[in-house]
Amino acid sequence: MSAAPSSGPGGFGTRLPVRFAPRDVELPGLGTMRLVETTVLVLVGLLLAVATVDDVVLETHVNQRLVADLRTWREYTGHDYKNLSVEQDLRGHTTRDVICGNTSPGPPKERTQLCLAMTGPVVAGRREARSGWYLPPKSEDLRGKRYGCFGVAKDEGLCSP
Amino acid sequence: MSVAAQSVASAPRVRSGRWAPALAGALALLLVAAAAEIVLDGAAGHSALIPKSPAIAGWLSGVGERLGYRVFLIALLVSVGAYSGLLALARRRELSPISKRSAIALIGALHLIVFVGPILLSTDVFSYIAYARMGVEHGLNPYLHGPSSILGDPVYSYVGKDWKHVATAYGPFYTLLSYPLAPLGVTGALWGMKLEALLASVGTLALTWRCARAREIDPVWAILVVGANPLYVIYGLGGAHNDLIMLVAMMGAVSLTLVAPGSRGREAGAAGLIVAGALVKATMAALLPFMIVSRRRLAPILGALAMLVLGVVVGYAAFGIHGIDVVSALNRDAAFVSTDSFANEIAHLFGKPGVFPIDHDFLKAGLVLIVLHLLWRTWRGYDWIAAAGWSLLAISVTSTWLLAWYILWPLPLAAVSRDRRLLLATLAVQALFVMHQITPLLAPVS
Repeated sequence: MSAAPSSGPGGFGTRLPVRFAPRDVELPGLGTMRLVETTVLVLVGLLLAVATVDDVVLETHVNQRLVADLRTWREYTGHDYKNLSVEQDLRGHTTRDVICGNTSPGPPKERTQLCLAMTGPVVAGRREARSGWYLPPKSEDLRGKRYGCFGVAKDEGLCSP
Repeated sequence: MSVAAQSVASAPRVRSGRWAPALAGALALLLVAAAAEIVLDGAAGHSALIPKSPAIAGWLSGVGERLGYRVFLIALLVSVGAYSGLLALARRRELSPISKRSAIALIGALHLIVFVGPILLSTDVFSYIAYARMGVEHGLNPYLHGPSSILGDPVYSYVGKDWKHVATAYGPFYTLLSYPLAPLGVTGALWGMKLEALLASVGTLALTWRCARAREIDPVWAILVVGANPLYVIYGLGGAHNDLIMLVAMMGAVSLTLVAPGSRGREAGAAGLIVAGALVKATMAALLPFMIVSRRRLAPILGALAMLVLGVVVGYAAFGIHGIDVVSALNRDAAFVSTDSFANEIAHLFGKPGVFPIDHDFLKAGLVLIVLHLLWRTWRGYDWIAAAGWSLLAISVTSTWLLAWYILWPLPLAAVSRDRRLLLATLAVQALFVMHQITPLLAPVS
């Protein structure tokens, strides 16, 4: 079928060859373009769906790890504090998290803090705390502020000399 | 077929159709109940989901408990389920499950519930107020300074921490529209912003109705698609986002081209309205090339140019050169990355920690290809409204800074477009966005 291209009165592009000329309404055609578009849309949709589900699973694991980390810190120190600071290795995508909290009651970061570095899988709702260090009050977890490293952190030299 | 045979054949259909209005009523009740739950719990005060705010919904407090992720996500999922069911039912016109009056009552109830409640899920409205107060109360140019320049202002403490040092990215028309609210104080301005969002939503729905009728699409179904959409109601209206003002301008332009097709004056007006909308929020400029390509006449180009000149003059007079430098504001915002963006999710899928600068370039290139394809299709007769909707959807999907109210942009266009795939794709993207929120439900952190 070869319908003449049409455009509004005085419309641009009316002098173009039929193949490139503008149309007011699409030709019915064979639907090949629509089929290709729909296929691409379905494939993109599948990619987005897989990426979304993957991210939900990833975040769920991160949250589960976080819950285990907080529980481990509380059991290790014997303090049931709510305000603990958490630093997850989101950049390197390792499972190493550092949880810091006060060693005595007080507002967050206002007392000497104990930081525990957690690694490995969640086992029975907890994770292994193989190393850690202390921070003075009102300090962020920066290498220069750390002292009293123990466990692997001591071997790795994670505290200031 | 004989009359007797017809009556026998249609009898089961009539019987099976009896349940439709009852089911539609039940789904509508679920939507209203879920919205009410979110608003009543939100009114109990500040939480991870409810930003710090002046006590505008204090009279509702005491009924609900502080809104947490669990209740919010359950209510959101219930809303999504009820909305999907309602749309599926409303499509079956032979069952007449939802009358015009019922649809308007449902949408009105949802709007009223959210309007009287607190600000939901976003601090953006406080940024709008801060920019307005910077200009009116402090004599500062909101295109040059962030809210941190008005530390002593009562609105400052409510501005989101990520935005305290960021100058406004909104168009000069929106900034000027917000200025009259600045002298009303934070609470007065907040109600003003909520009222603006409500009126913009009502306008968008009225225009969606008008466009649907012009296209011989069931207008009841079309307004349900938009006005009962959970992201539209809870995130868009609940956060009093200025995207709703952009949407009313967008649907105004579409309506002008549909109601009297061929009228050059209306086409010029429609193009002017698109530019005016882009001077509220720049994203709306995406509609203009599709409209011009579909019309192929001088009138819309002249209309757009006239409004652009007016916008430049007004923007320059009010805010200087920075008020009209939309490109640098867009470039700045395009570099942001949100955890909900699909680009970020795909990066994680391929084992990357996040989006890198090179990914931004790939995404922009992909977007350009999509827009070029859509422009060619529009040139060859494809529905320009659908093409514009696809481009808005593509912008939100390829953006590294994706927020719930960005996936509302194509929704009214999808409701009145001739290509049903656009609505399916828009709703699918919204569903994926909602799915991405559910992690706290699967693994709550305490």
